[in-house]
Amino acid sequence: MRDITLGQYFPTDSLIHRLDPRVKIVSLIAYIVLVFCTFNYYALALVGASVFVIVLMTKVPLKMYLKSLKVIIIIVLITSILNLFYGAGEPIFQWGIIKVTWAGIHNAVFVCVRIVCLILLSSVLTFTTSPTDLTDALERLMKPLTVFHIKVHEIAMMMTIALRFVPTLLEETDKIMAAQKARGADMESGNLFTRIRAMVPVLVPLFVSAFRRAYELAVAMECRCYRGGDGRTRMKQLHMSKRDAVAIVLSLLLIAGIVLLDVFMGHIL
Amino acid sequence: MEFISVQNVSFQYAEEENSQQVLNDISFEIKKGEFVALLGQNGSGKSTIAKLFNALLVPQKGKVFVDGMDTADESLTYDIRSKVGLVLQNPDNQLVASIVEEDVAFGPENLGIPADEIRERVDEALKAVDMYDHRLKAPYKLSGGQKQRVAIAGIIAMRPDCIVLDEPTAMLDPKGREEVLSTIMKLNKEHGITIVMITHYMEEAVRADKVYVVDSGSFVTSGTAEEVFSQVELLKKHRLDVPQATELCHKLRACGVSLDRLPLTEEDCVAMLREVLL
Repeated sequence: MRDITLGQYFPTDSLIHRLDPRVKIVSLIAYIVLVFCTFNYYALALVGASVFVIVLMTKVPLKMYLKSLKVIIIIVLITSILNLFYGAGEPIFQWGIIKVTWAGIHNAVFVCVRIVCLILLSSVLTFTTSPTDLTDALERLMKPLTVFHIKVHEIAMMMTIALRFVPTLLEETDKIMAAQKARGADMESGNLFTRIRAMVPVLVPLFVSAFRRAYELAVAMECRCYRGGDGRTRMKQLHMSKRDAVAIVLSLLLIAGIVLLDVFMGHIL
Repeated sequence: MEFISVQNVSFQYAEEENSQQVLNDISFEIKKGEFVALLGQNGSGKSTIAKLFNALLVPQKGKVFVDGMDTADESLTYDIRSKVGLVLQNPDNQLVASIVEEDVAFGPENLGIPADEIRERVDEALKAVDMYDHRLKAPYKLSGGQKQRVAIAGIIAMRPDCIVLDEPTAMLDPKGREEVLSTIMKLNKEHGITIVMITHYMEEAVRADKVYVVDSGSFVTSGTAEEVFSQVELLKKHRLDVPQATELCHKLRACGVSLDRLPLTEEDCVAMLREVLL
């Protein structure tokens, strides 16, 4: 259980890894919008191809991507199949109330490719960016929100601490489970509900200890002069470099390309 | 010149009249560069004393001064905390970030120090505790002793004059305990940092320049390690042990073996016994 790390960072020396995390987050959001703005096969193919190129550029083994797709594959299949039967227009195939139309087939293909691209892109972000870089970048990107009295620094600090304690609490869960098993607790047999109920003697001590840890951590942070985000500096500064500029230009070109294809090549959906 | 001065301090956690007094009118001073050990049983009030030093707690009666600054003055709280660092017992609950060097940077970042200087301080602190090679690791991959050294580095990076350690080795195995202790000794001897160590291990207290024994909120005795541990009967009365070597010689003396003083360490003991036997 100890090897579960949130976000599954996978360090390699690729160009994508070395991009500024802020650039990565913003272009990810742009890409997601883009994926849902494809209305014909040319645009869809361009998005699909560029996502595939990015995936290859990360130098992360394709096996890792397949693993993250495996979790979602059932949802992809169900939504695609449902879409298949709910298209409007002339049926090309009918059996009882089930009818398949061209619109349905188009729908199914688009939904399938869109979801797959979505998963691949978010995997690219988490595989290539360490959790600390991610929270750091989010803090800086959300900075303008302080105008609306949103406590950006506090949110980022909470995320940092949560990430830091994931392995610690997982280890603790293992220990408590072993301790309860040693006392004769049965956690493996019975139906779903009995098994969920068997987790109560694990969760109660886990929560108590988490609160104790939180208290101690708060004391330790006070000892180290923590007093919120005001007047705080950071050791690691984020710098935009030439490759970040190139990445931004390429993203913009891609957006322009999709928009052009959408406008001039007609709509299927 | 005294660095920390505690003057007639009494303390209790709850404000009510009948709640238990944790500290009873204690006074003492710690000089710059000293290595002081505070020795006491669980519940003797020794951890409370530690929290007085960096203004985590403010006494109801009496005053605590750190480098001339009154801990009751709230405008000085952060100046005091950057001069007196506190290391707690459980290393797991003190580390904030998921990368060692970023955790060490946490203190200086809070002090608003420019980025280049933080980098410099972090490297220096990690080298001082001998953890520089582990700077990019995640804390949960380190051993207990290593984690505690990272916690100490996190304090050193704030460049304090004094480090207070509240039972820093209580949760460590013998190897980790030795790592942490030798780090503390090195900081005291080579970097001239004042050390206040709170412990209930006699073997650790033996290394200090000055030992204070606390029980039920007041001092039982104080002095150099040798002076304190020669009072075997007194320490036993306050449910404290003495180092094994000291106890052995104390018992031998009771049986009539003539020893002019009591040893503190095994080596010392062996040398003394050899002299008697040969």
